[in-house]
Amino acid sequence: MEKKILITLVVTAVVILAAVAAAILLMGGKESAVYYLTVPPKDMKASLSTGAIDAYIAWEPYVSDSVVGGVGDVIMWSGDIMPNHPCCVVAVSNDFLASANGPELTERFIRAHMDATTWMNEALADHNSANYTLLVNMAVQFTQRDAAVVEAAFEHIIYRYDMGSEFRSALEQFTDMYMNTSMTTSQKLTDRGYSSTTDFINKYVDGSYLAAAASVAPSATILNPSSPIRLGYLLGDLHQMAQVVAQNKTLLGTGKSMFETYGLLITDATGAPFGVGGDVMNGFAAGAVDIGYLGAPPALLNHLNAGVSTKIISQVNSEGSGIVVKDGLGITDLSGLLHKTVATPGESSIQFLLLKIALQREGLALKIKT
Amino acid sequence: MDLNARARTLLTKLVSLVWTWRHLIISILSLAAFIEIWALYSAWLRGDSPFEFRHWVQTAEYFPYPWTVFHAFIDSFTVPDPFSGLYMTDHIYASLKRISIAFFLSFVTAVPLGLLLGRSKTAESISNPLVELFRPIPPLAWVPIFLVIFRFFWGPILIVFLGIFFPLLLNVRLGARSVDPMLVDASRTLGASRIQIFEKVIFPYSVPYMMTGIKVGLGIGWMCIVAAEMLGAVGGGVGRYIFATNGVMRYDLMYAGMVTIGLLSVLTTGVAGLIERRVYKWMGME
Repeated sequence: MEKKILITLVVTAVVILAAVAAAILLMGGKESAVYYLTVPPKDMKASLSTGAIDAYIAWEPYVSDSVVGGVGDVIMWSGDIMPNHPCCVVAVSNDFLASANGPELTERFIRAHMDATTWMNEALADHNSANYTLLVNMAVQFTQRDAAVVEAAFEHIIYRYDMGSEFRSALEQFTDMYMNTSMTTSQKLTDRGYSSTTDFINKYVDGSYLAAAASVAPSATILNPSSPIRLGYLLGDLHQMAQVVAQNKTLLGTGKSMFETYGLLITDATGAPFGVGGDVMNGFAAGAVDIGYLGAPPALLNHLNAGVSTKIISQVNSEGSGIVVKDGLGITDLSGLLHKTVATPGESSIQFLLLKIALQREGLALKIKT
Repeated sequence: MDLNARARTLLTKLVSLVWTWRHLIISILSLAAFIEIWALYSAWLRGDSPFEFRHWVQTAEYFPYPWTVFHAFIDSFTVPDPFSGLYMTDHIYASLKRISIAFFLSFVTAVPLGLLLGRSKTAESISNPLVELFRPIPPLAWVPIFLVIFRFFWGPILIVFLGIFFPLLLNVRLGARSVDPMLVDASRTLGASRIQIFEKVIFPYSVPYMMTGIKVGLGIGWMCIVAAEMLGAVGGGVGRYIFATNGVMRYDLMYAGMVTIGLLSVLTTGVAGLIERRVYKWMGME
């Protein structure tokens, strides 16, 4: 019996050793690659400080969080990789648009969103103004970050609502990249009734509400008193400050929020604030969200992949992400990331795409850490 | 032999064959019925045959047809996944590695501790509050903490470890506690030492409980793999595959990952069952 056990153990050990040797031979030498892992942005600073990762790419305020905290340095802002790249957008449910007053309510919503964006840009233009202090305080409360972190983060986010050709062309580029990596397929594009990527973006990005919103006038009465618009948004995402500003009742001095000024009643959708954009899209699919703030990738991908019936109706911000490296590693540019481990928020995020684009320009591949 | 007699013999043989394999046949029929109900539900959501009177509803996208999932499952072994470029075999290897290490760690800690807790009132008094406090906490709750403290190699492994550890510990403790006191007294009367009582009575008595703990623990370990591999999983993993494909709503691939976990769980529990039978045979318990 003992002999049999011994033979079994020896054979098992030999098989394992042979497999390990084969794996090493097959893997060959180290390639020109940067290795990535998926880490939630809120944990990136801690992972960087413990040395578990060498760098990360995230959106604000998670970039400035490490810089202000003395843990890391930014080697590249996302605007340097792709100037004015899209980030968060406003999406609306087609069912909501088809409901009574749906289009009018949507136009009014977008008007309040535009006013909030303009208010923020004016406040950010003058750091000594009372509105700037108000904005910082609101952001501190919303993101649960220090004022210093929030102020630093504001420097790198462009708040905007326009959806010009640059925006559409970038979304087209993102969709093509998702098709190239099979995150979505041309079959899905056809299934949803689009003939090409251009056709998809032309139809899915609907600028008509933005155009109509410009002429929307304030309303003395609430148009939807019994059925408030169910709003989806992400937890503590500084990019989505417009909806925080538009809901604040103290900014206009009338005792009304910007949404109320345009005759709208807003309520948090069931499940809001959501953790990730995919959850906002699930909220749309479940009929729980009427209008939502979320990243462009889940809005594009989840509409194509799962047929979630939505439209993009406004931009929320562009840029506002950065690549952070651990302090003391001596990395000053992208080439220094060779063979290093970089955390990303996930393969479907804009940050992942931007990192991939930036590394490709340097002749580096982005591979999962093994 | 006339025709009727031949037919009767054939029928008898057929009935006998069905009776012999009845459990396997029932299992296959049960699985087939499940797949049929799944297919019918998918058709119902899509308004496909035989439910043409219905319209497509959004939920349909969340329930692909079984054959769509089957194709996605097969493709996952031959086509790299869309998010990390790894094949399903890579993910299976990564998950099996995590489960194996977590199981080993659970086994070498839970078995001695369970035996000690089952036989020592003092040890039980010391550890019981901690065990009862930590046992109900879902492994998912530990994910962000483990990730930062234990980093990306040990973090996911220790999430799975928690899933296997507690069922194993509680079963071994129950086994050690359930030993018939008459057996212990009889051994002592016959002059057995404490070590001999442990070796010849307590441990063998606990083995069936330990094997149950292993099987339950492995099942829960696989249930924890999605939570464990949700973040920072080095080299991927089937849990990571499910999480990532769910994130982009590629539900055909997500279900393929779920099927893979189910099959892996059946495989590992089956191996545990085989080992259990060998152990019982070796111990003369059959």
